[in-house]
Amino acid sequence: MYRNKKTGMIGIMITIVILILTVVLSNIDVQKMSYLENAFNAFVMPIQNGLTYLKNKIEGNSSFFTDINKLQEENEELKRKNSELEQTLREFEIVKAENETLKEYVNLKDKYQNYQTVPAYIINKDITNYNQMIVINVGEKDGIKADMTVIADQGLVGHVISTTQTTAKVQTIIDTASSVSCNISTSREPIIVTGTLERDSTLRASYIPTDATILEDDKVETSGIGGIYPKGIPIGTIREVVSTKNITDRYAYVETAVDFKKLETVLVITK
Amino acid sequence: MKKFFSILGLILTFFMIYFLQANFFTWFHIAGVKPNLFVVFILFIGLFVGNKLGFVFGLMLGIYLDLLIGKTVGISGFMLGIIGLIGEYLDKNFSKDSRITLIFMVMGSTAIYELGQYFFQILRWKFDIEILPFITTLMVEVIFNAVLVIILYPLIQKVGNGLEKVFKSKSVLTRYF
Repeated sequence: MYRNKKTGMIGIMITIVILILTVVLSNIDVQKMSYLENAFNAFVMPIQNGLTYLKNKIEGNSSFFTDINKLQEENEELKRKNSELEQTLREFEIVKAENETLKEYVNLKDKYQNYQTVPAYIINKDITNYNQMIVINVGEKDGIKADMTVIADQGLVGHVISTTQTTAKVQTIIDTASSVSCNISTSREPIIVTGTLERDSTLRASYIPTDATILEDDKVETSGIGGIYPKGIPIGTIREVVSTKNITDRYAYVETAVDFKKLETVLVITK
Repeated sequence: MKKFFSILGLILTFFMIYFLQANFFTWFHIAGVKPNLFVVFILFIGLFVGNKLGFVFGLMLGIYLDLLIGKTVGISGFMLGIIGLIGEYLDKNFSKDSRITLIFMVMGSTAIYELGQYFFQILRWKFDIEILPFITTLMVEVIFNAVLVIILYPLIQKVGNGLEKVFKSKSVLTRYF
């Protein structure tokens, strides 16, 4: 008796749950259930497709075998056309890349037309975390010598420190050992920018004159002092001015004009 | 003959590491910090090959690296040579059969190498010391090297034992007999 009563209660509970679920499900927007539909479809459709294929095969057995040869020929033809198109696409991409590089060179040449320059590719970048050197694919046989200035479309890159017949090693301005004499382009105040370990594409400006007014977004360019870098080549923009207790110690962070991470082509100023 | 091919294999491994550092690790890095597999490699030679080959390899390959991409020729050569000697010293005083010991050896050697490099560069180029950014970068590099050693440990042990048989078989015999 007790057992029957318990079974009856469970049955009632299950019925109530089913009822509630039916009510809830019937009131849900169909669109909201699409993910469930997808899941069920993913489970059922492959089996359904297989069954339909079998049914069609049994029903139209003769036409299936005649069509398959035609389909194979068509498939071969399409494959051939596809490979031809892929080849054309590859050629197009090569031409596009060459075009972009040449455009970059033309832009660079136009911008720095007062200087005699040699274009170059970067073929190697530094393998350590503490130096920022690059190697370019021009050397002594292209007229490259030590201390020549290296620039990119946006501004100063660095200077050549050594050469071989076919390559040159360049110390970039973001290297910790690099130090460049500069001017703030608006106020003409002299500063020195050096590379830091903190971040790529960030320089530290120091030796700021005590009476100088330096503001964020001020442009920084080479001063021409020091004998390596010509005057007026853009270096970057003042990003942050850090004040210290002693005004002579204040410094600023300069964001380089050149994006060194994406740098691929440069110009070496030979004259 | 076995020694000749082993040395040839080590030289080829050096070039493989060079290309990994110059290409693969320029995008596979932790917050812009690359590992330094050269330190691991020279320490490995010092530990398993010995016979002052760690020092010789470190010196030669370091000078070669300096010529390829360095600012000053000699600093990497000197420091990698030291790492080779440290490897030989550690081999005589510690067991390299434990993974943990090997990881600590690599971590210590990486720190010594980078500190030495930085110190010599400051002397040579006289730039300002940046303690915090340097320590941050060094810590990430040391951890990166340790993680790579954890991954490569079975390979290091297998190849290392093979090299030990080729280069140290005589010394082992004299030690016991």
